[in-house]
Amino acid sequence: TVDTSHEDMIHDAQMDYYGTRLATCSSDRSVKIFDVRNGGQILIADLRGHEGPVWQVAWAHPMYGNILASCSYDRKVIIWREENGTWEKSHEHAGHDSSVNSVCWAPHDYGLILACGSSDGAISLLTYTGEGQWEVKKINNAHTIGCNAVSWAPAVIPGSLIDQPSGQKPNYIKKFASGGCDNLIKLWKEEEDGQWKEEQKLEAHSDWVRDVAWAPSIGLPTSTIASCSQDGRVFIWTCDDASGNTWSPKLLHKFNDVVWHVSWSITANILAVSGGDNKVTLWKESVDGQWVCISDVNKGQGSVSASVTEGQQNEQ
Amino acid sequence: MEELDGEPTVTLIPGVNSKKHQMCFDWGPGEMLVCETSFNKKEKSEMVPSCPFIYIIRKDVDVYSQVLRKLFNESHGIFVGLQRIEEELTGKSRKSQLVRVSKNYRSVIRACMEEMHQVAIAAKDPASGRQFSSQVSILSAMELIWNLCEILFIEVAPAGPLLLHLLDWVRLHVCEVDSLSADVLGSENPSKHESFWNLVTILVLQGRLDEARQMLSKEADTSPASAGMCRIMGELMRTMPILSPGNTQTLTELELKWQHWHEECERYLQDCTFASNPHLESLCKIMLGDEAALLEQKELLSNWYHFLVTRLLYSNPTVKPIDLQYYAQSSLDLFLGGESSPEPLDNILMAAFEFDIHQVIKECSIALSNWWFVAHLTDLLDHCKLLQSHNLYFGSNMREFLLLEYASGLFAHPSLWQLGVDYFDYCPELGRVSLELHIERIPLNTEQKALKVLRICEQRQMTEQVRSICKILAMKAVRNNRLGSALSWSIRAKDAAFATLVSDRFLRDYCERGCFSDLDLIDNLGPAMMLSDRLTFLGKYREFHRVYGEKRFADAASLLLSLMTSQIAPRSFWMTLLTDALPLLEQKQVIFSAEQTYELMQCLEDLTSGKPVHGGSDTQQCQDDDIETTKVEMLRLALARNLARAIVREGSLEGS
Repeated sequence: TVDTSHEDMIHDAQMDYYGTRLATCSSDRSVKIFDVRNGGQILIADLRGHEGPVWQVAWAHPMYGNILASCSYDRKVIIWREENGTWEKSHEHAGHDSSVNSVCWAPHDYGLILACGSSDGAISLLTYTGEGQWEVKKINNAHTIGCNAVSWAPAVIPGSLIDQPSGQKPNYIKKFASGGCDNLIKLWKEEEDGQWKEEQKLEAHSDWVRDVAWAPSIGLPTSTIASCSQDGRVFIWTCDDASGNTWSPKLLHKFNDVVWHVSWSITANILAVSGGDNKVTLWKESVDGQWVCISDVNKGQGSVSASVTEGQQNEQ
Repeated sequence: MEELDGEPTVTLIPGVNSKKHQMCFDWGPGEMLVCETSFNKKEKSEMVPSCPFIYIIRKDVDVYSQVLRKLFNESHGIFVGLQRIEEELTGKSRKSQLVRVSKNYRSVIRACMEEMHQVAIAAKDPASGRQFSSQVSILSAMELIWNLCEILFIEVAPAGPLLLHLLDWVRLHVCEVDSLSADVLGSENPSKHESFWNLVTILVLQGRLDEARQMLSKEADTSPASAGMCRIMGELMRTMPILSPGNTQTLTELELKWQHWHEECERYLQDCTFASNPHLESLCKIMLGDEAALLEQKELLSNWYHFLVTRLLYSNPTVKPIDLQYYAQSSLDLFLGGESSPEPLDNILMAAFEFDIHQVIKECSIALSNWWFVAHLTDLLDHCKLLQSHNLYFGSNMREFLLLEYASGLFAHPSLWQLGVDYFDYCPELGRVSLELHIERIPLNTEQKALKVLRICEQRQMTEQVRSICKILAMKAVRNNRLGSALSWSIRAKDAAFATLVSDRFLRDYCERGCFSDLDLIDNLGPAMMLSDRLTFLGKYREFHRVYGEKRFADAASLLLSLMTSQIAPRSFWMTLLTDALPLLEQKQVIFSAEQTYELMQCLEDLTSGKPVHGGSDTQQCQDDDIETTKVEMLRLALARNLARAIVREGSLEGS
């Protein structure tokens, strides 16, 4: 356990890349960073700067240094950076008219790019161009009513990457997914001119899409996205062809209540789903493509159970 | 599709009120974070004191104890050895080699068990002592299962030897006999010891008839009344036909002989030879395989599989492997007698007797809390080509699945991850990509660790990972102002862009401080210099300084000039270069030829024409301007003088 001493509801907690640091954010408007090595907890920073509840935090890839992004009800996105051992606000983005609900860093291969989804229906993309400067691209009306979640596709190296001449960056096709209050999941692609275009609309939910998560790449040509919605359903979308045009949904499960959050483990073999009836359930794909629930993480009063037994697997 | 057999297990997180709030979570590299929250995004949350705790959930926490780590290390060695000799395993020797590997694994488990046992005894507080003891029993169960699998699946013992193996198996695992034996024999009058008959009985139950006979002879010595009966019993024991290893008799011969012997025992029983001594009578019944008599000895047998083996020994010693399951099932039922239900271990063993490998693996996965056992066992069975022969849809994939799970678990540990690398290597389908995903997440606390990780990546041509790791380290070095280190990391990563960045920093530092840091590195760049233009410039510039220091002025001069004319020098640096040229221009002898001087002048004009005129806003600016102008004027003067001298010199040389 880590005692965050947040004075109000915690909305998000994220481990950094190596699992050594923990960032948490809360309705008490603060973002806290802890060092959790060897089971200990040391508060490294208590970052104040938001004027409203902070909804999400996201760690950037360590090659850019120690960078954390946070988004809040106060319509702002703040990027924090650790410089010489102290954490400071490095940049503030105030380009939205409404609460910013979700932030997600792009794969490090693309550079330092942050996607932000907001209740004003727009998605903004902040790209670090050097010397403390950030370039902003905005996709207005990405989702009517509001955008609730953004998630980047893993970087796929196009074609065969033979040793490029020095200094030249390979041409990645940048894509991300967003989920919104229009019950849709949209896939966005960056065009050659640098503009972002809506590539696909994935329709299956009958209520607000609360979260989308693009699964990490495991080397297969398929792409997988998980989405969850207010309608209690969680869908797994798969696309088999490399061009990414035909997506087929599979219903993971219909819960009795709103499903708020979905998240993939690092090697994409387990999907965690939070929501209905206050449980976090873990799902794994079995051989024949069916998704099976392998564990429930429940809350309750009383006894402590120290380990999760996930010994279930499926053969045959 | 087969349904999951049980409900998924539920883990309770303490202190979180499930009525009011939801839980949000995230994945860490090896664990899961959970905290209480409310997903309803309202500005004003209810001012209810909510739980400020975040829970970190990890799988298999018990896995990382000292003793088990040894288990992982040693079994890793066996695993890798097995994969490597796979190609060499052919023909007849294959089976014996695989059996040997299996025995290796088992001995590792036993060693671990021993150690754990010592730790349990030495434990300071009873709670941890209990924990260790339960670990010991888990390990013991694992070895029990593995041993049985070895007999049935790997050794594939046929009827005849099968029973001998099973006897060994039971003897190995029901080991109170030895201590009991020591007790009884160590006493003054063994045959009068209270546990004497227990000992004899259990020896008979385990088929150790020679030892039993010895005990009986002691009894015969001390109590002449039963001497006669003991002698008869002893004879019976001696003459029981058994299959000894290397015996040339066929099964049919053995069966015949055994039948004959069995009838002889029966006769003695019918004749009430042993009637006066209930102990001996019960022994006789046991040796006749009488179930009731055997069941009376439940306590000594202590478990149903012992019962099974004894039963087989004395009623059907030439049992065929495929018939085992019927005996097993009935033995289990008889032994439990409806009083208790089978435990997971019982189910696993039963599945083994039924030769249902997949059921065994499945039950083991459910019962055990970590993947070590199933991963290694399945791998070994796969090498025995058993999984494929079972014609399962994804026979070999199950092996990989289990190995991947096991290896992923290892990566969560600060030092065991290195073992995990090898396991991933031997997973042909998803091993490589899993390794790629995991290896980037290893925290690089020390340079040593980073080098280790890099070496692993480089060995496997994981260039992406190498690049990203080097970049991370290079950035860290730059932030800590260790430019030399940063440069070497970016060279290793073959990252041209970053090398340029670092070179720029070097040059900037030089401008500010007038000297270079990390000279060694720059001097010995070698072909790596070609990585980026800026880096090449840095290297060449340093070379210029060196050559100058060696007073090879002509060479230095031409090098300097080439630096400027070849366009690899950044414009911002030209002034510095020109300033460096000054001492060369001021030398007594003429170093720059007229031609070269013209070129230098051209460069200077290029530079100054491009410069904007500063609006003289503050004194600092004015001072800077002044310095600039003075420098330029000095240069112009020096260049002009040099030009003059050069023309003169060249003119006069030409003249003669």
